[in-house]
This record gives sequence, structure tokens and C-alpha cells, in this order.
Amino acid sequence: MAKYVGQSTRSKEGPRHVSGASFFTDEVRLAGMLHAVILRSPHAHARILNVNTDAALRAPGVIAAFTPQELKEKTKPFRPGRYSAGLARPIQEYAGAINKVRYFGEPVAAVAARSRAEAEDALELIEAEYEPLSPVIETSDALRPDSPPIFEELGSNRAWTGTLTYGDIEGAFKQADRIVAEKLKIHRYSSTPLEPLACVASFDAASKKLTVWVNAQVPDNIYDALRDAFGLDDVRVIIPDIGGGFGQKIHLIKNYAVLTSFLAIKSHRPVKWIEDRTEHMMAAGHSCQQEFEVEAAVKKDGTVLGLKFKEYDDVGGSVSTLTIHFTNKLNNLTNTYKVKAISMEGNSLITNKCPVIPNRGIGKPAMCFVWERMMDKIAEELNMSLIEVRSVNLVQASEMPYETPNGNIYDSGDYPGLLKRLLEKIDYDGLKKEQSEKRKEGRHLGIGVVIGVEPGGRNAARDMAVFPEMKQVPGAGGVNGATVKLEKNGTVALFLGSPNCGQSHETTSAQVTADILGISPDRISVTTPFDSDLAPWGVSAANSGNNFHLYDIGAIHGAAHKLREKILTLAGNVLATTPENLTIEDGVVFATDSTAKKITLTDLGRLAYSNQSVMPTGLEGGLHTTFYYTYPHAQPYLTPDVNRKVRAQFSFSAAAHGAVVEIDTTTGEVKVLRYVIVSDNGTIINPDVVDGQAYGSAAHGISVALGEGFVYSSDGQLLTVTLTDYGKSSALETPKFELEHYPVPSPFSALGQKAAGEGAAIPSPAAIASAVEDALKPMGVKVRELPLSPESVWRLIQDAKRNST
Amino acid sequence: MIPCAFDYEAPTSLEEALSLLSTRGHEAKLLAGGQSLLPLMKLRFARPRIVIDLGGISGLRGIRRDGDQIAIGALTSYSEIVESELLRSHCALLPQTAVTVGDVQVRNQGTLGGALAHADPAADMPAAIAALDANLKIVGPKGERIVKAHDFFVAMLTTNLARDEILTEIRVPRLEQTRCTYVKAAKRASGFAIVGIAVRLRTSADRVCEEIAVGLTGITDRPHRAETVESMLRGKRLDRQLIEQAALEVTRGLDVTADINGSSEYRSHLTRVHMARALHAVSGDT
Repeated sequence: MAKYVGQSTRSKEGPRHVSGASFFTDEVRLAGMLHAVILRSPHAHARILNVNTDAALRAPGVIAAFTPQELKEKTKPFRPGRYSAGLARPIQEYAGAINKVRYFGEPVAAVAARSRAEAEDALELIEAEYEPLSPVIETSDALRPDSPPIFEELGSNRAWTGTLTYGDIEGAFKQADRIVAEKLKIHRYSSTPLEPLACVASFDAASKKLTVWVNAQVPDNIYDALRDAFGLDDVRVIIPDIGGGFGQKIHLIKNYAVLTSFLAIKSHRPVKWIEDRTEHMMAAGHSCQQEFEVEAAVKKDGTVLGLKFKEYDDVGGSVSTLTIHFTNKLNNLTNTYKVKAISMEGNSLITNKCPVIPNRGIGKPAMCFVWERMMDKIAEELNMSLIEVRSVNLVQASEMPYETPNGNIYDSGDYPGLLKRLLEKIDYDGLKKEQSEKRKEGRHLGIGVVIGVEPGGRNAARDMAVFPEMKQVPGAGGVNGATVKLEKNGTVALFLGSPNCGQSHETTSAQVTADILGISPDRISVTTPFDSDLAPWGVSAANSGNNFHLYDIGAIHGAAHKLREKILTLAGNVLATTPENLTIEDGVVFATDSTAKKITLTDLGRLAYSNQSVMPTGLEGGLHTTFYYTYPHAQPYLTPDVNRKVRAQFSFSAAAHGAVVEIDTTTGEVKVLRYVIVSDNGTIINPDVVDGQAYGSAAHGISVALGEGFVYSSDGQLLTVTLTDYGKSSALETPKFELEHYPVPSPFSALGQKAAGEGAAIPSPAAIASAVEDALKPMGVKVRELPLSPESVWRLIQDAKRNST
Repeated sequence: MIPCAFDYEAPTSLEEALSLLSTRGHEAKLLAGGQSLLPLMKLRFARPRIVIDLGGISGLRGIRRDGDQIAIGALTSYSEIVESELLRSHCALLPQTAVTVGDVQVRNQGTLGGALAHADPAADMPAAIAALDANLKIVGPKGERIVKAHDFFVAMLTTNLARDEILTEIRVPRLEQTRCTYVKAAKRASGFAIVGIAVRLRTSADRVCEEIAVGLTGITDRPHRAETVESMLRGKRLDRQLIEQAALEVTRGLDVTADINGSSEYRSHLTRVHMARALHAVSGDT
């Protein structure tokens, strides 16, 4: 029986974070440490003619600097990653600009000085000459044949295009009663973590060991990047507390780890680099603007037989994440629906904007947006209710586990149940009545109801579905480990195989361990920071891809069970009984048939590390176990089959979202009156933690829908370089969330748990879009694009008025 | 995010401050709360060689009645304005406006004089100052002069203060029987005014407009009085139709700003909408 799993136990990391005692990368202070600042491109597109650091190097306190030329000579370019495998010609990308700058804010040079202030002063002394080139900003310009190629080697700014088709798509469109077509668009935004990027690098020239402290979500990316860039074998990646990740700290952060390390190697001193907010906004990475041309083949009763779409991704001025938003759509390609045929065409367009990176859900919010906008449109064209058209298409609970046409296997879920419970909770019928009454008073109430899956646990082989020709296979499935140790004083030490970005991993992993070892979570110490020299980590050691619940909890579960077995073996020997006869409660091992036979974990710990005479023959000393978890049910489609079917992710949470908005049609302002979520995240380890993930991700998704985002001028200058300009919702504009759990445990994961990290960020933009359209339906407004800022809603209303007259 | 090196002086008297300005005014910035200046210095957009902190000059702070006027020291914080009983009862427009500025921390640190001298086109207080026809007292080497809001604001971030002068006091009328309101469409996250409208109105018992003043902010590069609106309403009985008609004229003759917070077309529309809402609210017809 679970005593702690399922409870909102006291947070282990919370007190440290709320009392200012966290240990972030900026807290690292090493003797003789220098401070680096980076010179960034003032142009969106330009040839670098000359960069001279002589004057900067003569400035007070300055110890080192580098130019693009030096970066090219002394470091190696990154290996092409899984997202650029489809390029016609490989492109060599370094950690900074070499011959050209391709986006506003791209790193060009850097200085390191004894103080940050001296470094900032010296930065102004770097002479950089550019030959400005005409920038390509809009995707429509990137698509033009005469658009100047940003990467000359590619000859075109359409850097990649490809199609994946699952099922009989032509047949579906032939059999359809109706084809419903729409153009949709989702904009560039970010997760704006409180802590920008940060890195401290220290190089021991004698042993050739490079150590970095970095707030990276994926140690693997940093580890490989540093080893490749400098040709080093011995690299140690330490990841202290992270002030929020959400995807922002997965990809481009490796460039900055290389640049900081380069300065450390050059100067023979430790070097710290802390990104400021403005740098973060302009160059740490954005989510991708995604445009869609969608067609759905539907029957008269609303059944969707097939869906095909063309996608145009504005990937910015780098090829490193060319297809990331496209391939992530394989994860939730069919959403909660049992469509049998689907076809997707991807187009990756290079522009002179910040490169794109993952952002809480990556392409999944857009995929859900496509499905849910289409459902509303189909309902309208067939004169059905928004609820009916979804209900007709939902995968039923009885069909679980359910295989999607592209090879995903939905492990568990009750989608009709989620929808039904949401409608009850929100009082859908009552709201509809209220809406028509309000309309008589000239008020505009809108109700949006959407549903979405939330995939969890990444399969590293996914991208091979898009690139079967991929030379360097990125792995298949996933592996990550955990270590548990019963200390000599009877406490338990837990070492996780992945970093923690603030999702309470310390709390939840202690709960799982506590139940298995029969000990209070208060007696468990979870070790931070992540340290690649110590942690049991594999390819899934990533605070990304909704990996933690599957791989890390799986590993903790496995390691704790191994340790329990060992504890019982040792205790059996000490108590002269068999291990099968023993159990553990409240830190005491005792025989189930004789209460006299007992020993505390404290006594056992002491014995295990000091008394060889009590050890059973053949039992390894110590009470210390490591377990590497792999998903035991990864087949079929662990790797893509001939039809390119692949299991993109392994567990599938789901949620129904209901948004109630009121719109001031005079100003276009949208007020969210209610926001209701009914969510299935499988077995819940800690309700407070899962609620927190839902609140945060819903708040972000709603803010994205209602106006936060990046704006570029026509010449490629980013106009939203501060949080003030970026326009994130504050607590004032964020609704109170009404959240209900509807858990359907996974039959495959260790505890039945499923993902919760990306959570409500996936369906919430679609929910707001649906509610806004519903409010403005009498005016004939169609919502095809985000964001729905006051001015854009006002424009939609003006356009609708113009069209109706 | 570290400013260029600068000298720091904290004079304790106005004379001392003026003396510093007389020698170094060309390279100086006055610190009067710092809620705008310090971020600009950290971004190195502002690069003063000397920062003269006025915070230590005690005579520059406080709110007092002076005959039929209320005198407000330039270094009076937004919070002090919000909490002032004198202003609440006799010049409510200032507290009504000040309470919408930024957040609590900004209101505790930021000052009225600092905001006016900074002349951010999206700042709130200039709208109220314009609507109150305030007298701005400026002290320089040649002594004192009084400037009206209309003459004080010259362009974006530019006032008619000379480099060796200090804005020391803001004098507003002590109002009786006057209703006021400040309405704005604000940028999410910052609360900066996309459009801000300050209105003060005195009507007779039969709703005839006896006195009206409308101050606008956020709409162009500097605050304005909506003179067309005022003249359409002055002396007239305020009814719904007249208000709506007048509000349509609010941006007449103005070169309305376009930026990431709103196109010129939308901002003009918002101004008309909020003008009408402000007038309805203050005239009590809805």
C-alpha cells in the first residue's frame, strides 16, 4: 500500500527556493574567476568583414577575448544533429558567427575580464565591421525563388521539405462527403524562464579536464558539444538548481557553454558567463512560427476519415533545429481522435530571426491547435455541435491500448469520460443559456471546449521516421538511471540521473522511494546538483520530452526495489529468518510472523558498512544500488518500420479544457472568466506538484493565446527585447484554475504514472481560440491565427463587419 | 547590464545641486527615484558621467496646501500622492492616476517630478498634469520660473528643462465640486499606457458643463489637452449623444503613434472609446 505516493507531502526543494537558499549557476564562485560578456550582431543579416579585439584586450581588467576567426581556428563545428539530417548539403555551424551573422543578437565575439563591469566596458572597444545584406524576415519572402539564400550552400531558404503519410489518405478523401479546408497560424513566443542562461567553465590544462556548471536541461547536449568543439575526452557537466527550463535551456545553451569554455581554455582561468534578459529575448531561442494549410476529409456524421496538412516553419537563422517543430507533431499527430489516415508535409524556412528551440510542448500545442480549430470548423460546416463532432471521433476507453496510424500506442485513457466530466463541471448547458441571454444585452460570452493528449517519455529514434537516411542514429527508446543508498545512519541518499528545473523532482522521487523502503520521505536526502561524473545517466537524462515520470521514476522505482531486496537479504541473515518473511515499516525491518524479530534501518546501515561478519555469503557489501530503466513495452515501432511508423513517445496523458471568456467588442479585449481542466495524468505521485504543473502550463498557454510573443521590424530588429515589451500575462490577467483529476493509470509504467510537465500548455491556446470564436460567432468571426491580442481581436471584428455589409 | 562608470553626488541642498549642475550639467542626470533612469543606464542607453541624487534634499518632498493651490514637491512618491488625504479630497485626479502607475515597488520609489522630467510618452502622470493645468516650478541659476505643462513637454523624453535647471515643485489647483477620472488602456505586464485619459469636470446642477479639462497621454510623443473635446462640451448640457460626438474628435490634429502596442488606427480608436467612457463615467450619465 502506498503511504506517500498520492499524497501532497511537504516539498523538499521548496523551502530552499522560497528562502533564497537555492544554488544556481550564478552562485558558483571560483578563485580567479573571470566574467565574460558577448558581443552580439546589431544586424539581422550581414557579412562580417573584420573583428578586432586589440583595444578591448588593452582595457583595464581584461584577460581574454576572441574573434570569429579565432573561434573558427580553435574550435570545431557542431556535428549535425537529428533535426538537420535532411539537409541537401551539411552546414557547419560553430558556437558563434564565423563569416556571416544571420540574426539580430547572434554572438560574434566576447571578452573576459576580472569584473563584469570591466568586461562590459571593454566590449564597447571591440571593433566590428559588417557589410549589411538584405534580410529575409517573412516566411513569404523566404519562399520566394529570388530570396537571397541565408546559407549560400543551400541555394534556397526552403532548407528542407518532406512528407509523411500514414494510412490510405487518398481513399479517405475519395470517400469523404465533404472536404473542410482552413489556413491556420501560431506565432513566435518563449517560455521566458526567470533565470536566463548561465555557465561557468573551468579547465585544468594539466589533466585536460574541462568542468562546466551550466543550467542546461539536457546534460547530453552539453557533454557532446564540449567534447566535439575542443576534442576533449574528459568533460564534467554539473547542473545546479535551474530557475525554469521549459525547453529554453536545451539547444542553444550548448553554444554558450562552448564560448564560455573557449574563454576559460584561452585564459587559463575559470570564466563565468551570465546572460541578461535582453540577450535571452533576442538570442536564446524562440518557439517556431508555424503556418498550416489543412484539409479534413469528413463524413456527414462528423467522422474524420483523413487529415492532411502542409506546414511552413519559420526556423530562424540556424539549421540546428530545422525540423524540431515538425517532427514533434508525430507525438500527438492524431490527438485524441481515431482518424485512420493522415498526411503531413513539412517545410523548414530559414529566416533572419532567432533560431527556434523547444518550448513547453514544442510542436504539440500547434498540432492540438490544428485539430481543435478543424473540429470547430467541421462542426460549423456540418451544423453539428462542437461537442458532438468531437465525441464522434474520440478514441474510446474500451479501445485502449490504442494504436494510432503513425505507430503511437496510447497506453490508457478515457477521452469521452474526460469530455463528459468537463461539460458537467463547467455546466456547459447552463453556460450556453447564459450566453444567449447575455447576447440579448449586447454582451459577448464565449465557451471553448477542447481536448488533447499529452505525450510523455521520448523515443530517441523518432526523428528517423522523417530521416530514414540518418547517418548517426540518435539511439532508440530511452535509458536513464538512479542510485539509492541506505547510509550508515539509516537515512537514504538518492542520486537522480537528470537535472531538476523546479518541477519538484526531489519531492516526488523521495515519495516513491519512501514507499518502497518503508521509510519517511523526511529521512531521504536527494542529492543535487546533477553531476555527470557521478550521476547514473543515459540518453533520457533530460529535463525535457516529459521524460522524468517515465525514465527517472522508473529508475528510482527499480533502484529502490533492488535496495529493498538487499536490505531484506541482509536483515534475514541478521534475524535468522528468510527475506520473504520480512517487511519494512517506519524504518524498521520486522518478521511478519514474529514481532520480536526486528531491526532498524539505522542498525542495518551501521552493520552493512562496518561488520563483515553479518554479511550473507555472496552478498555485495554496502547497501547501494543503481538501476537503469528502459521502457519494457517499447515494441512495436521502437524504430521506424518500412511505413515509417514509430512510437514517438510512450505514455499518453490527456485533458479536456473549458474556457469561458467575455469580449469587449469595442476594444477587442478578451477576459477569461473561467478556466476548467479535467486531466488524466495516470497515477499521481504528488497532487500539489501535478496541480502546479497544470496551473503554470495553462497560465503560459493562455498568455500565449492572448498576446505574448516576439515582434520583429521589417529589417529584422527584435522589438520585444524586454519583458515589458514582450507582454506576458501577469497574475492579474490569469484566471483562477478549476482543476479536477481523472486518473486512468498506465498499464505499462512502474506505478501507472503518466506525464504532467508540458500539460496544459498543449490544449490551452486552442481552448482560448475556440472560446473567442464562440463569443464572436454572431458577427461571423473566424479565429485562424494567434495571438488574440486586443488589437487583433478588434481587427477580426472590423473585418467581419466589413464582410457582412 | 552594468552602467558605464559614473560619479555619484548626493547634495543635501538645492543650492548644492544647482552648483553641481552649473559645472557638470552637460554630462549629468538627476536621480529622482530612478525607476526609469536606472534601467536605461543598465542598458547603457543613458550614459551620464555624473548622477546627482536629489533624494537627500528634504525640501523637495511633501504635499501642502498653499491658498487655492496644492504644492507637491518634485520628489514626492506616487505612493505619497495615492495616500494624501488633501489630494484625495481636493485634487482626486492625481491619486486616481498615480495608483495606476507600475506596481507597488515602482510607486514607492518613483516620484512625480522624476516622471515629468523623464517625459516618457507612455507615462500616466503627464495626462493628469495636463488636465490640471499644473504650474511646474523650475529653479535654475537665474532663479525661479513657472512653466505650464503645455510648454514643459517638448517631445519624446524631452522637456523644456535646461541642463542646469531642476524641477522642484508641481502646483495644482485646489478643486471644489469637481469630478475626476483617469482611464487607460494599458500594456499587459507593465501597465504602461497605450492610451491614458485624465478628465476633470465641474457641472451645474442641471448637468451643464462649467469647466472641463482633458489630458491625454500615450497617444503621441507627448501629453496633450484634448482642446476640441473640451470646447465642444464647455457650456453645454452633457448628454449621451453630445459626449459620443465629442469623443470622436479627441485625436483630431494629432499624429497618433504606431508601435508594437498598437497601430495608429487602433490607438486612435481606443482613444475615442476611452474618451467617451471617461466622459460618461465622470458626468455620471451611465
